[in-house]
Amino acid sequence: MSAVVLNNICKRLGTNQVINGLSLDVKDGEFVTLLGPSGCGKTTLLRMIAGLEEIDKGDLYIGDKRCNDIPSQNRNLAMVFQSYALFPHMTVADNIRFGLKINKTPPDVIQKKLTWALDMFSLAGLEKRLPRNISGGQRQRVALARALVLEPNVLLLDEPLSNLDTALRELAMEELKRIHHQVGKTVIYVTHNQVEAMTMSERIAVLNSGVCEQYDTPRMVYDMPRTLFAAAFIGSPAMNFFDGTVIIREEDAGVDTPLGFIRIDKDRFGLAQKFVGKFVRVGIRPQNIAYVEHRESKRYSDTTVTVEVELVETLGDRSLVISRGNQDTKLRFLIARDITLQIGQKLDMFLDGRRILLFDQETTLNIFSEPKI
Amino acid sequence: MPLAKSSFLKKRAKGLVWVASILFSVALVVVPVYLLVKYSVSDSGSINTGGAPIPLWPYAPTLRSFTYLFTESQFYGVIVNSIIIALATVFCSMLLGVPAAYVLGRYRVPFRRTMLLGLISVRLFPDISSVIPITEFFIRFGLQNSYLGAVLGHTLLALPYVIFIGMSAFESIPSDLEQQAQVMGAGGFTIFFKILLPLSIPGLIAAAIYTFLLSWDEFIFSYFLLGLGKISTLTLFLRQKLAYAPPQNLLAAISVFISVPVIAFSLALQKYMTAGYTSGSVK
Repeated sequence: MSAVVLNNICKRLGTNQVINGLSLDVKDGEFVTLLGPSGCGKTTLLRMIAGLEEIDKGDLYIGDKRCNDIPSQNRNLAMVFQSYALFPHMTVADNIRFGLKINKTPPDVIQKKLTWALDMFSLAGLEKRLPRNISGGQRQRVALARALVLEPNVLLLDEPLSNLDTALRELAMEELKRIHHQVGKTVIYVTHNQVEAMTMSERIAVLNSGVCEQYDTPRMVYDMPRTLFAAAFIGSPAMNFFDGTVIIREEDAGVDTPLGFIRIDKDRFGLAQKFVGKFVRVGIRPQNIAYVEHRESKRYSDTTVTVEVELVETLGDRSLVISRGNQDTKLRFLIARDITLQIGQKLDMFLDGRRILLFDQETTLNIFSEPKI
Repeated sequence: MPLAKSSFLKKRAKGLVWVASILFSVALVVVPVYLLVKYSVSDSGSINTGGAPIPLWPYAPTLRSFTYLFTESQFYGVIVNSIIIALATVFCSMLLGVPAAYVLGRYRVPFRRTMLLGLISVRLFPDISSVIPITEFFIRFGLQNSYLGAVLGHTLLALPYVIFIGMSAFESIPSDLEQQAQVMGAGGFTIFFKILLPLSIPGLIAAAIYTFLLSWDEFIFSYFLLGLGKISTLTLFLRQKLAYAPPQNLLAAISVFISVPVIAFSLALQKYMTAGYTSGSVK
């Protein structure tokens, strides 16, 4: 059963088409993330689900009810704003009780739920504090507790971790995941942070300029991005791209690129067949480029390229190398940090042919991905 | 080296100018208060010195002018009138002004700017030139020499302030809070009474105190609308006494009575003027 269905949703703000014919379905109990750069329409979409923004065109179903014209109050949703929007004049306990009180919950049930929430979110002892007198992490937990005590059908989260520092954010991610696991609520989560999306979601919708570029599991979004945009947006350090032409010779299929001929894996020959002779965009993640000396033997699908080191950045556990190959083609890759490299040094690298992605220059679609959203 | 020295001197001179201008500003405020208090407790010998310079502090300070005021039966009535009119003005201005401020502060109203301009237009003219047509108008409705007339007159003056202060109080509440309450199931009334009103209280208190003071020391409108008739306020009382050329210490004593609440409330007002009440709710 689907908890939320968006069907061909359109939204215009002024002259700006914010959402352009977007469709999504969220299963009951699923954790779905709307991921995209700022201005992609992800928050607008969330606000439309919440009923804070009108829907110009298309249908929104929550449960099996069409909700386009149902006011926010009656959608049985809960939302955590980016700012947390705690009521500053109410104590932590009053904030948590607020929604229950206006929904006329009996006092003993309110008390029970409050106790549950304080316990679940480790807020015991803070009941009588005002929001301004607790820490950022605590505020975030109060906001979540306040949302969850209402037992909403769907929990909407608008970048709830963006105001936390890195250490706290990691903790909060674990916490959120644990709570989702325990409570089993449907969650729609908005973020521009791919780490949050990758870590927590069961499915990610990659949004760009009001269009859904891909809707799939984190693993598929990472391994098999459906479009050039999804490929470029997901992954850190960012994917390498260069132009190429698809060619197939007897035993070998691959792309002719400024770096030379790059072989692709045998399994993908079939899918590449249609594109022979076509101009494509070649993508490979820095993680899929290996230093020759690290690997005892070369696989058949690997291609060796020679590059010249331009810059080395320390990432802590590894180093990111920015290099130039043939015809000044930029190539980023990762290397063990104990290898000292000189600027201008020449290196032989393996490009993993099983991981190379090819994107149609016209449609920007990944020619290896299945024809589905 | 000489360059460094000259820049040092420049800095020094700049500092002196600053200190001097601050002292001057403080003096502007303090000297009248000092004179007022001094005269109110002066004995007549310290005022009419027969050519000798007036002393900085009276030779024989006395509370005689105050005790005289307290024996004057009219004085109590005048204070009560001032309080009644000021409180009623607060009530009327808040009753009319707060809902207006709420709507103007939180909704996109057509012709908002025009309306705001219309609101302050009353105060764009000097009181003395707007008071004549208004008095004319009030007389036609039989509102002269009545509490209602004075209250409405003062409300007219206070309303723009109430609306502007109230509007910024409502505006400063993040819309996230309102929307959060809405998603949680709250209707318009709950949102207004449980969220918006409590959060705008400091601003509204400031507006109320300001209105009280405005009415308390208002003279021109009171003078035209009440004349020196049956209903007299503190400021009119002062004007009335002035006409009989009484000793200056008596006038000063009345002035002290008018000023004390102004000073006291102004100090109290500061607390509510400080921002940051909503901090902690957002980010």
